[in-house]
Amino acid sequence: MEACMDFMNWLDLDMSEKLLMHLKDPSDLARVSSVSRSLRDFVIANGLFKQLCLRMFPQLSKVAHVMELNNCGVKEPVEVGSSHSMEWESLARDHRVYATLARVCTSFSLRDCISEAISASSTDNYPAETIDNTLLPAGIVSRRAYWSSKGQSNPAVPETLTYKLVSEFCVITEIYIRPFKAYFQRGSPIYSAKSVRFRMGHPKSPNDLGSHLLCDSLPSADDTFIWTYTSPEFPMAQESCLQKFRLPEPVLCIGGILQIELLGRVQTQEMDGLFYICISHVHVVGRCLSPAFVVENIQPSGTFVLKKDMRYKFHTQQSSPDNEAQEISDDQLQRRFRYLRNYLRNLNVIEIEEYEGEEEDVVEIEEYESGEEEYESGEEEDVEIEEYESGEEEDEA
Amino acid sequence: MKFCAVKQYFDDENNNNITSGASTTMIPLPNVESHPLAILITYCKKHLKIKANNADNKKETEKEMEQYEQELLKKVMPQELTELILAANYLNFKEALDFFCRAVASAIQNKSIEFVRKFFGLESDFELGEEEKLREEFAWSFEGVDED
Repeated sequence: MEACMDFMNWLDLDMSEKLLMHLKDPSDLARVSSVSRSLRDFVIANGLFKQLCLRMFPQLSKVAHVMELNNCGVKEPVEVGSSHSMEWESLARDHRVYATLARVCTSFSLRDCISEAISASSTDNYPAETIDNTLLPAGIVSRRAYWSSKGQSNPAVPETLTYKLVSEFCVITEIYIRPFKAYFQRGSPIYSAKSVRFRMGHPKSPNDLGSHLLCDSLPSADDTFIWTYTSPEFPMAQESCLQKFRLPEPVLCIGGILQIELLGRVQTQEMDGLFYICISHVHVVGRCLSPAFVVENIQPSGTFVLKKDMRYKFHTQQSSPDNEAQEISDDQLQRRFRYLRNYLRNLNVIEIEEYEGEEEDVVEIEEYESGEEEYESGEEEDVEIEEYESGEEEDEA
Repeated sequence: MKFCAVKQYFDDENNNNITSGASTTMIPLPNVESHPLAILITYCKKHLKIKANNADNKKETEKEMEQYEQELLKKVMPQELTELILAANYLNFKEALDFFCRAVASAIQNKSIEFVRKFFGLESDFELGEEEKLREEFAWSFEGVDED
């Protein structure tokens, strides 16, 4: 038997396609397309990179068309020619764009993807218990560093927390939530939810968003956003640790809006006998695909235009995509520092009013300064929380 | 009956009410050599056996199949995979086809272009400089590739 048969000629087109579709790593498919001109043409003609991306992210089925922006950020001119060559050019463009997309979706670094809070379905003491508190560094445990829903006598009433992501085009892998433990109440109750679910989508109208930032509550979140993805339901533990909810598959969020649905209440407040949900920290982990990729013209139906910016070279060693990500992160940090400054000022006012709380507050200030640093490195924060908490309990005692 | 192409013959016979039995009917398989056919028959029998053993437990079936497939791959030469794919395709044997395609994909995973060329018996038909351009455009795919 000959060791080197011309394999591809023996297989019909369906078989060759079937064979190549088993390649899961975009690098493997890219190398196969560089083996010979006929193989490359085969990969382009059958849109194999597009199919690979669609298998990884079914959300891409809503792409109306793709565009490439050249070195000046201007759309590449489409050469006028025969319909055949135009069709080929379109296929070749799809090939280039989806190959790069497959690459960045699996290689850009993971980072915190929340830019800011939009609204909560209800808030108990606004602005003290606002949703913004959930974005404070995870190390903070304080009277004021949590969001609380309004009380309900029916434990089945859900709540939602809606956030804006750092870009309209992100791959989300997991979400972290920390329920709040009211250590200042008798028994230190933990106001978690029974279970949690996540939605992703885009604003119905791009202009709506501006006016809704930091409202007490959005009159009807369902009218403002269109959800294109809903996760399965995850049970939530009634523990005040940072709980990780890993999505079954990474999901492409198109539109930059993420909502956490808190389902089922478990804890009543002794004072009024009503069920509350309180969350002290939220963060969302994923990869930000902008500005390398940009989405535009998101329609109510969910279709959108995908644009690849060719100014970015997509080598692993290239630091510019990460630098861009870093700039966005600095912007986020600035916003949070401003919020923290205001928060601190409020804290000072409280110290004067509540004398017996003073010592605890002083401890808090020290802790969260270091907590701020810990947050950036990520890993240690869970341990930090546990140790800090036990310290707090001792103070209480 | 996993060999769908063969199944057709049996179905046709039943329709024609031939009582002399299938044992005397020749089923022509011109495109399948005896060696790959033998492997496919063994694969098929094993698959049916494992399925019967673990009637209700799908996970167990999958696990056992995977173990058997790993063993089988050790005995099969990479070049034989191409013949197996062709045979499985002709016989319309879906599970085997899937398996051997996966096996080929695994064989070329993270391998260099030269390795893939040799494996499939293909030659570069690029013009001068075309390949270089591609290597530059997809530079990210050439990092960390296995040594030949």
